[in-house]
Amino acid sequence: MRLLLVEDEPDIRRFLQTSLEEAGYQVGAAADAKTAENLATEGTFDILIVDLGLPDKDGISLILRLRQMGVSAPVLILSARRSVDDRVRGLEQGGDDYLTKPFALAELLARLRNLLKRNRPSGNESTRLRVLDLELDLLRREASRSGQVLQLTPQEFVLLEYLCRNAGRVVTRSMILDMVWGMRIQPDTNVVDVHIYRLRGKVDGKGQQPLIRTLRGVGYVLKDR
Amino acid sequence: MRSAAWRISLWATLAFACGTMLVFLFLHRFVAADIQRRTDAWLSGEVEVLGDVAGHTPKDALYGAVVGEVAELAAKEVPNRLRSESSSNDSVFFLQAGRDGSLKLWVGAGDGVANLKAIKANEILPDRPRDLNVNGFTIPFRVASIRMDDGSHIYLGLSERDELRVLRYLRNRFVGWWLLLVLFGFGIVFFTTRRMLTHVRRISEAASRIGHSDLNTRVPTTERNDEVAQLALTLNGMLDRIESSMHQLHTITDSLAHDLRSPLTAIRGKLEMSLSAATQIEQNEPIVSAIEELDRLTDFLNKSLDVAEAKADALRLSRTELDLDELLRVMIDLYEPSMSEKGTQLRLRSAGPLKIEADAGLIHRMIANLFDNELKHLPAGCTVTIQLRVDDDTALLVFEDNGPGFAPEVRRHLFEGRVKGSGSNGHGLGLAFIDAVVRAHGGRVSALNRDEGGVYISVALPLAAKEENLPVAH
Repeated sequence: MRLLLVEDEPDIRRFLQTSLEEAGYQVGAAADAKTAENLATEGTFDILIVDLGLPDKDGISLILRLRQMGVSAPVLILSARRSVDDRVRGLEQGGDDYLTKPFALAELLARLRNLLKRNRPSGNESTRLRVLDLELDLLRREASRSGQVLQLTPQEFVLLEYLCRNAGRVVTRSMILDMVWGMRIQPDTNVVDVHIYRLRGKVDGKGQQPLIRTLRGVGYVLKDR
Repeated sequence: MRSAAWRISLWATLAFACGTMLVFLFLHRFVAADIQRRTDAWLSGEVEVLGDVAGHTPKDALYGAVVGEVAELAAKEVPNRLRSESSSNDSVFFLQAGRDGSLKLWVGAGDGVANLKAIKANEILPDRPRDLNVNGFTIPFRVASIRMDDGSHIYLGLSERDELRVLRYLRNRFVGWWLLLVLFGFGIVFFTTRRMLTHVRRISEAASRIGHSDLNTRVPTTERNDEVAQLALTLNGMLDRIESSMHQLHTITDSLAHDLRSPLTAIRGKLEMSLSAATQIEQNEPIVSAIEELDRLTDFLNKSLDVAEAKADALRLSRTELDLDELLRVMIDLYEPSMSEKGTQLRLRSAGPLKIEADAGLIHRMIANLFDNELKHLPAGCTVTIQLRVDDDTALLVFEDNGPGFAPEVRRHLFEGRVKGSGSNGHGLGLAFIDAVVRAHGGRVSALNRDEGGVYISVALPLAAKEENLPVAH
């Protein structure tokens, strides 16, 4: 995967580049809009990360310029602004996504995956998800572990489905809130943890290998091996 | 607004009507006096002529015929005469009364007895004509007299019928035209006032629409250069200044947010990298708590800036339609496990779907704050009752609990921010943030301790301007 990263803050650019390369992306990094345009003409990219506050050009203008140049790859917008600009909202409807700073790396990676998935012609969507001995029937909304049907509430099923789709990868609390409950909020209470705790109580029975792991300060991960 | 146009035109018309009426009354009096003066002059002249004729005519058998003829001729030259179609002369009478008061000669309609009786009842001085009411005639006569050498009196009477008819004609004509003019004037005043006030109304409507966050629009202006146009220009000038200071505030908060967030992002990134590099649990712990502190700091920064902007009425909203009922159910679904873990019960009383036009992100955070507040401050075993209903054209959301209520030191400064109870571990921005968001949406929050104990927080938000909020059975 080739990724174009446009970010003017050297610290953030460096850390993002390292982390993204670790995650398996080939990263082309640019500190300003001009460099970004040059990089975009030289090679093709599968996905773009664009910071809104660039020294020489507004991030939105850059995206529009790149679109004119024929770059159709999805864009993840990074914004240090407080409220989400209406223009960003407009772009988001066009298939792009945004993330406000500061963000968790896991969330950035998850949103990149989502964007890439959205843009790839999806094959036959499976009606079953399987992670180790955990199996989810998406049509009947039923989960079972080692053949044993789990008694889940509809909400717990959605939560488990989200964890399964991201099996082996870290999901953060704000990602769970966004994807499962559809809200971008930051509660200063442990609401998500209690949901995970309850779900874990049902999924990881006695004597079974624990599947749902908590990574403190980061989020949760559903083990896939 | 209609009443103002009505009031103004009614008063203006009333003043106009009274003024013209006064002028007319004055004219009427003048005309009436003038007609009477002419009548009197004619009467005096004629009675003198008749007296002369009567004095010089021998008192023989022909006397009556001669004087009668002269009197008849005089009657044909009556001033102000309008109609002469009736051959019988009933508007003029000639009467000669003897020294003893007997009727000596009578020319006119009827036999003259009633006239003589009326004359006897009223003393009529020579050279001073006066009004005389005669039995059998509805209209009075103007009567002049002259004293003859032989001691008899000659009276000449002229009915005031024609004079009154002239005046009546004048009055009728006037009233007709006057009514027409008054109505016309009322129409003109009403029309112009309403036109002017309509413009004022449009300005005030536009100004109220501009409201909290929409500062781009301006009130309508006209090409005319009157006071109303001036008002619109002044308002627009004021809006320009407000918008520019608002813009400045946004620039400041944006650059503040940017300047703080960029280093926060870099720090968080570095912490995460060292977290993934750390292999031992002991190394993890300080990094993890640093990340958590950082996230709290970020949340605090966001809320502080939101509260600051909202206090300056400068919070930017991007409104979409939002169903509060649905949102509450999702929130309850999210918070219920944590609540029951703490032994807190949650109850929802909702009258069904309730749509508002609001910034979804802010409303989500605002309601999450209400839940967080209850979750953090309620001791075990309490109940939180949430009500959602339409009240006075607003969406009313009420959070009630039977906990200990607000501590006295907190109560006085609930919405100021940076105030927290001694037992609280939040940063004390909760209610200030709730208040800020609700006010930015044109609503209001009230928070108080219930008489029977516990907290009562009510949030009133304007309904979406659609008919979809009719009560639906649920």
